[in-house]
This record gives sequence, structure tokens and C-alpha cells, in this order.
Amino acid sequence: MKLKLALSLSALFFAGSLFAAPQVGQAAPAFNLTDSKGKSHSLADFAGKTVVLEWTNHDCPFVVKHYSGNMQSLQKQFGTDEVVWLTVISSAPGKQGHVTGAKADELTLSRNAMPDAVLFDETGVTGKAYDAKTTPHMYVIDKKGVLQYMGGIDSIASAKVDDIAKATPYFSDALTAVLAGNPANPAVTKPYGCSIKY
Amino acid sequence: MTLFLRLFFYAALVLLTTGSVQAETSGWVNASHLKAELVSDHQDVRPGQSFKLALHFIPDEHWHTYWQNPGDSGLATSIEWTLPDGVEAGAIQWPAPLAISVPPLVNYGFEGPTILVSELTIPADFSGSQLQIKAKVDWLVCKEICIPADASFELNLPVTQAAIEARDYKKLFEQASQHQPKVTQLQGRYDVQNQKFSAAIQMPEDLKVSAFFVSAPELVDHAAPQQIDWVDGELLLRQQQNTYFSQALPQFDLVLNTAAGPVLLQLQHESAPQVSPATLASFSLLDWLGMLVLAAAGGLILNLMPCVFPVLSLKALSLVNGQNSAQQTKTEALWYSAGVLLSFVALAAVLLLLRAAGQAAGWGFQLQNPFVVGALAYLLFVLGLSLSGVVQLGLGWMNSGQQLTQKQGHKGSFFTGVLAVVVASPCTAPFMGTALGYAATQPALAALAIFAALGLGMALPFLLLAWWPGLASFLPKPGLWMEKLKQWLAYPLYLSAVWLLWVYGRQQGLDALALALVGLVLIGAACWVWGQQQLQQAGKISGLIAVVLLLGAIALLWYPQPAAQQVAQTDHAEVWSEQRLKQLVQDGQPVLVNMTADWCITCLVNERVALDTDSSKAAMVLYNLRYLKGDWTNKDPAISAYLRQFQRDGVPLYVLYWPGQPPEVLPQILTPDSLRQALEQLSSKQPLITSQ
Repeated sequence: MKLKLALSLSALFFAGSLFAAPQVGQAAPAFNLTDSKGKSHSLADFAGKTVVLEWTNHDCPFVVKHYSGNMQSLQKQFGTDEVVWLTVISSAPGKQGHVTGAKADELTLSRNAMPDAVLFDETGVTGKAYDAKTTPHMYVIDKKGVLQYMGGIDSIASAKVDDIAKATPYFSDALTAVLAGNPANPAVTKPYGCSIKY
Repeated sequence: MTLFLRLFFYAALVLLTTGSVQAETSGWVNASHLKAELVSDHQDVRPGQSFKLALHFIPDEHWHTYWQNPGDSGLATSIEWTLPDGVEAGAIQWPAPLAISVPPLVNYGFEGPTILVSELTIPADFSGSQLQIKAKVDWLVCKEICIPADASFELNLPVTQAAIEARDYKKLFEQASQHQPKVTQLQGRYDVQNQKFSAAIQMPEDLKVSAFFVSAPELVDHAAPQQIDWVDGELLLRQQQNTYFSQALPQFDLVLNTAAGPVLLQLQHESAPQVSPATLASFSLLDWLGMLVLAAAGGLILNLMPCVFPVLSLKALSLVNGQNSAQQTKTEALWYSAGVLLSFVALAAVLLLLRAAGQAAGWGFQLQNPFVVGALAYLLFVLGLSLSGVVQLGLGWMNSGQQLTQKQGHKGSFFTGVLAVVVASPCTAPFMGTALGYAATQPALAALAIFAALGLGMALPFLLLAWWPGLASFLPKPGLWMEKLKQWLAYPLYLSAVWLLWVYGRQQGLDALALALVGLVLIGAACWVWGQQQLQQAGKISGLIAVVLLLGAIALLWYPQPAAQQVAQTDHAEVWSEQRLKQLVQDGQPVLVNMTADWCITCLVNERVALDTDSSKAAMVLYNLRYLKGDWTNKDPAISAYLRQFQRDGVPLYVLYWPGQPPEVLPQILTPDSLRQALEQLSSKQPLITSQ
């Protein structure tokens, strides 16, 4: 354990990149973001609950693919008291996917989506802390605030709705495992989609 | 914003078929921000031919499509072919990609007109008059935003006896090959360790590489800076590992942007060879029985091996020649078999003991001891001399029928068996590798049984001969030919001795080999003197002379071992040993220990980039630093123990010893400044008092 820590510390030191990549099995990066209704949320608020982070951009075709029904049904399926589903928008003002609070609420309503909150990350600080690259990009954080899954929503990188049924639902499998107290397998998968418009 | 949505659906719905138009192009398909066509380099094709198809993209300005590794986001263009039976399409021959920066991400792809070439092969027995080609293409075109699309293309090419090139598109295909990276024969290896991708490529001439592109997705952090160094005929590449990296591919394509344009090569994955830490394979009865049969067959074949055959022929001669009763022959064969079997089992027991002791010992381990090798060479030479008639060896197994009493017969037979096994062991390794490798991973009893089967196989001919004297009657009658045959059989023995001496020379060097050859001459003299005495042509004293000569020959094998570790020594490094390190530390010297291995690319890159550099060498001189290098290529146990002191189970390991300070472990990824900085820091903590 000590060795692992030392290794990851040295990796951190010599990474040469500006931010540390999050790691499954370690504490998820903290955040404090304002939602579409002006209410602020931080990760610490949800201690004791399993947190889902879903990066989105409603104009991204890959998001459109999953909002053809798949994302809504996942939100419904896991919409219990145990799970907090946070949709995060990291698009900078003026870029694709950036919306006002009212627009975000309208999108939630019109798409029959049911996240617990839609969070705005205009500065991209939280997105970069999570190394979020694409929309959609999914994260599962357990009750103790430990990151348990990061990556794609499923296994087939395409913008075609037909592929959803054929794909392995990595995210859904991971969340199910975490809720049952088991580690996600795989816990890290390739995220696919549009680049986040930081 | 809904405009994009609409565009997306529009693009997704684009589906253009060109019907039965017969032409070398599908015609343009207009999609959102990109138009595309599929073009053939032949207007008429013939059976048995290979030809090229180009998927020609013209995106709007600043819009791009993606390479096989699209980078942090994006999607590689893919083509799904529908072709007549037997017609095969090859993979896309990608043009050299560009790095497209979308901060904080980087994508790999293409801007401007892009030509993706695929090769199609028509079988020689193709009978149709038309070649119908259908391609369903998926792509993602992006600027800031992305639009996925798919389209179907169709080409119908007449199949004739004479292929005709499509002249109108010749230029397009020329352009395509200009944009493709040049395939090179450069050899490269890579590894991913400690969050870094490292690669080393043999490159005699500096091609002035400015960027590299790995085709493996989720391998490197595409946005991280690329470290590119050319040092002494080797190109060294490093980049931060991708967050989503999961496993290293055995090999993948690498494109290098050089001063003379892009080139393509393959990188092979290399990492520490897997050592099975005495993991006993799960026992399977069927496998085991199969291996028993294989081992027995192998043992049988051993009878024909040059290092065994001569000895066995002696035994065969004695069986044929002997005037023993059938009962005696059977007993002798059994004794012989017992000798063979017990020797094999004994060797197996030793192997198992060594295995238990945690030592990785291959079969033929006794051959790793040069003294044993030299002694075996002598033994075979003596046997050869006896066959040549220089000396009559022992009364037991060198047949001289009348003298062979029954008691001596048993002993003689038993030890002929033992000798056969001892002599056989050099041959065993190459021929029985599979069975032995299997036995080495099995539970002890199963392994012993395998070795016993090996012995049984080897003894089988004699048992057969003893039980079916009928077979013996097939053997030729004794006569003068036997003496001749015996003399001929000396030569395989001499050759075996030569082979062993060669092994000995490889182990000990030329000087030691020369001494061993002198020993051989002494052996020759000893045998000759002994032989003279046997013929009663020399006095008693000659027996003593023979013994002295023999001892002298054996003494010559006590040649000092060459330096234990033959590390490829660089000019400023010493070979590591625990004693040397201790001594230097006691002397109050600052010491850098570098544990490395040939197969460790990270080690190699570190050395080239950070240790074997002029600045690091200067720092070593400045701080009077001693540099010790240990080579773990063959998993030296002393080095393994040293690594464990630092909770490491692999290389690289860099430890800096500064007088009065605890040893400091340097990071596993060194930068050119790592060493100098560490030295500066340590010397500021505790200035060095030099006695000089």
C-alpha cells in the first residue's frame, strides 16, 4: 500500500501534466458546483450515497444517441434513494452544449430525463479534475467517496442507436456491482463521444 | 442548436446508391460538411488481380476526420465491404495523421482532402462478368462540433481478361501514396511502466523525428508532451500513459514525422519475461499419461543419440557376445534397466530438490558447472580410446566374455545403465525439453514418474532383447566385424568429447580450453601407458605414471572462473556486487546503484537520456560519485535480494548513497536533471568531505 502510494506520488511528480488523473480505488476529486436552479452541491454532501456523474452536451450526436431512451431508462432504473445522479455540463460559455439553467430544465423535461441535478462547470475545473474527455463520460463514486468506475457508457463507440442493444453496458454493470458492494469489472473503460467543449 | 440536430439526422440519413452505373467512381455523396466518393484505380478488372479502391473525402475547411487511433475523442473511419464470394478486401492503408489540438485534448486525424486506400483481391477462378462492390462507410467529421454520418457506395466494374487502369484517377492514387507514411525496416520495442510509455527504436542515422503517432488507442495521453531523443543510433520516445490504458498490445504501428516525411514501423511489446514462481500446474491425468508415453518414446530415441549410442552398443555387444544363459541375459538386462531407471529418478529427485530450494534449474543443470563438462569430455575421450583399442577398460562393462563373472555382471550392467544416463544428459535437454518442462511443473510424484518413464524407454531395447532371444538371433553373429565396429564407434565418442569441450570453451574462455586440451593429451598418455601395462609390456611403475597423468589432467580443469558477471560495461560504470557496494559505502564514497536488464526499455531509455549523458557524467565527476551497475537480465538472485530491500520486485531501481544519509531511491522515470538535482540536494544537506 505504501509502495503503491509512493509510486503514484512519484508518478504524480513526474507526470509532467498539469493535473493528476483520477484513479479508481482512490478518493474522487472534490467539487462544488451550482445546479440549474442555482443551488450549490459538493461531493461531500452526498456521503453515504452512491454518486453518478454523467458529462453531457445535448447537441453532441453521441449524447443524442443515448438520450433516445437509454439514458432515461438508466436514470429511472437507478433512480432510488441510494443513488444520486448528477448530470454535468462543462461546455464553456459560447460553446456547443452550454445552456442556461432554464434551458437545462426544459431539456430535462422535454427528454423525460430524471437526474437529481444538472450541474454547470463553465470553468471546466471539475471536468479537468476528473479527466473527463467526452460526452457522454460516466463516473461512479461509492458511499465512501471512492471512485469506482470511469469511462464509457457502453462498449460500442458509435453514434448509432442500433448499437446500444448490441453493446456491453459497462456503466450499468459497474453501477449494479458497486450498489451490491462489489468492485466494478471493468472499472476503467474507454470513453467515447464528442470532445468536451472546455 | 437544433440546427445541429437536424444536420445530424440529415447526415445519418444520407444514403446514396448509384444504381447500375458502370464506372470507376461511385459518384460524390454529399453529407454534412463533407463529400465523399469511392474510386477504383482500374476501370476493367481481371480474375486473379489485386487493385486499389480509394475512399476520397473532401471535408469543409477546418473540418477533420479521424485516424485509426482517433486520439482522446473522435471515431476512426470504418468501411464495411460487401463483396462477391472469394473477393477479399485488405485493411485501410492510412495516410500519415495530423495531431489536432482541441485543448485540453488532442485528436489524431486528417484535414483537407483525405484518401483512404484499400486493396481488393479477385480470386483467379472468379467467373462473373461484373464485380459488384458495396461499401458501407461510417465516419465522424468534426470541427469544434462533431457530426457522425454513414453512407453506402457502390461500384460495378466489368471483369474482362485484360485489366484496364482508370486513367482519370491515376493522379488521385499517386496523391494517396504520397500521403502515406513510408514503410521502413526500423526495429522498435516499447513498454508501459510507471505511467509512462517508452519506446526504443534502432535508428543508425538521426532522421530528425519531430512527432510520433501510436496506432494503439488508449495507450498514450495524446495531449501530454512527447519526449523524443536520438542517442547513439537509437531513437527514444516517451509520453505519459493514457488514463484509460488497460493492456499493452503485442505490437502496433507507429508513424514518425521525420525531416524527410512520415515513416511507418512496427513496435513490439517487451516486458520482463514471465517467471513462473514455482507455480505447480494443475494436475491432469490425461495430460500426464500422454506425457508418460512421450517420455518413454523419448527415452527410446535417446538410444540413438550420439552421446549414448556408443556406450549402449558396448552393452549390446556384450549381450550378443556373451555366452550367458537366457536367464543370465534377462537378469543382466534387468540390472541394466535398474541402473538407467534409478539414475533418472535420482536426477529427477535432485531437480525437484533444487526446485524446492527455489532455484530455477533447467535440465542439464549439471552441465552448467564447467568442471563437470570438462570431466565428461575426458570420460568420453577415455571411452573412445578404449574402443580404439589403446586401453582395455574395466572388466565389468567392457565386454570380455570369459572374465565376466556373474557378480561382476550385475554390477557391470547396473553401472553401464548409470553411465548411459550420465552420458545421455547433454542430449536430454534438447530432445526431451517438452516432457521435462512439463515434469518440472508437476507434483513431485508425477514428475518422478515421468523421469522413470524416460528411463524405461531408454532401457527398453535391452529388455526386449533379453525376453525375446528370438530378436537376438536376428543380431549378427560375433566375429572380426565386431572389433571393427567397436573401433568405428570410437569416433562418435570423440565427437561428443569435442562438443563438450566446445561448451567448456564457451564457458571458460580460450585459455581454459587450451589447458583442457593439454589435459586431453595427458589422458591420452595415461591410457597408452595403462594399455602397455595391460599387455604386460611395461613395469608396475607405469600404473603409477598413468594415475599421475590422469590426476594432472583433472587438475588442469581447475581453471579460475571468469568474472562472475559479464555485464556490458559502459565506460563510467562498474559492475555491481554487494561487497563492492559495502566497501564503497564504508569508505564514505557517494555511490549510485543502477539495477537494469536488457529487456527493460524504461531502464534503457533512462540510461540514454539521463545517466549516460555528458551532463550526468560531469555531475558524477564533480561529486566524486561511483557508479555501480547491476544486470538483472538473467534474474541474478543477489540483485533480486537487493531489489527486495527497497520493496521492489523489478527494475529499474536507482539508489543514491550519500555519506551520512539514508540511501535515497530515485524515481523510476529519470529526467536529464534528476541525478544532478538529487546530488545538489544531498550535498547541501551534508557537504562531502573528500580525503583527497
